Amino acid sequence: MDKTEFQIILQGAIAGNHNDFEKLITIYDPLIDKHCFINGKHDDDLKQYLLMHLALNINKFII
Amino acid sequence: MDYRQNADRDELRARFTAWLDTLLKRAKLNYLERECEEPHESLDSLDEDQLPATEDAYMQTLFSDDPFGFTEERLAKAFSELPLMRQQILKLLFVDEMKPRDIAKILNCSAQYVSNQKQKGLKYLRKTIVEGGDIDG
Repeated sequence: MDKTEFQIILQGAIAGNHNDFEKLITIYDPLIDKHCFINGKHDDDLKQYLLMHLALNINKFII
Repeated sequence: MDYRQNADRDELRARFTAWLDTLLKRAKLNYLERECEEPHESLDSLDEDQLPATEDAYMQTLFSDDPFGFTEERLAKAFSELPLMRQQILKLLFVDEMKPRDIAKILNCSAQYVSNQKQKGLKYLRKTIVEGGDIDG
C-alpha cells in the first residue's frame, strides 16, 4: 500500500465511509489487538469498546 | 497489510499510528476505570448452590426476612399470597416509609401504578382477614 492509497482510506474513514473504516481496522488490527489484553488475557469486550471509541473519535484526527 | 509497513517513510501514516496508539491507551484506561467503578460478578463464576433455582425462589429470598414482623398468622399468609411486585410496593411504602414517587423511580413505573397496587394490596388483605372472621372491626 502506498502513501496515496493510505491517505485515501484514512480520509474516507474520517469522512464516515464504512468500507474505508473497515480497511483501516484491518491494517491496524495488530496494534488494536495489542491493547486488548488485560492481565495477559485477550478481552473481547475491551476490543469492542476500543473499536467503538475509535469509530466515534476518528473524525478528530486532523490530516 | 501491516501498519508497520512503510511507517518510516510515510509521515501521515506515522502520525496516525502515534495518534491511534495514544487514543487506544487512553480508551483502555477509561475502560479499566469504569470496570473498577462498577464491579460485577459473572454468573458463570458463581457456584450453582449460591444461585436460586428459579426467579421465584430468588424473589422469595428478598422477602424472606418478613419485614413487617407479622404477629397475625393469617395476615402473614395473605401477604405472602400477594403478587411479588405488590408485596415489594407495600414493603417500600409501609416498612421503608418511602413516597410513591420515589418507589416509582426505583421500580421504573408510574406513581399512579404504585398507588393502584397499594389499594389493590390493602383491599385484598382486608378482604382476606374479614372473611377469616374473629378480627375486631
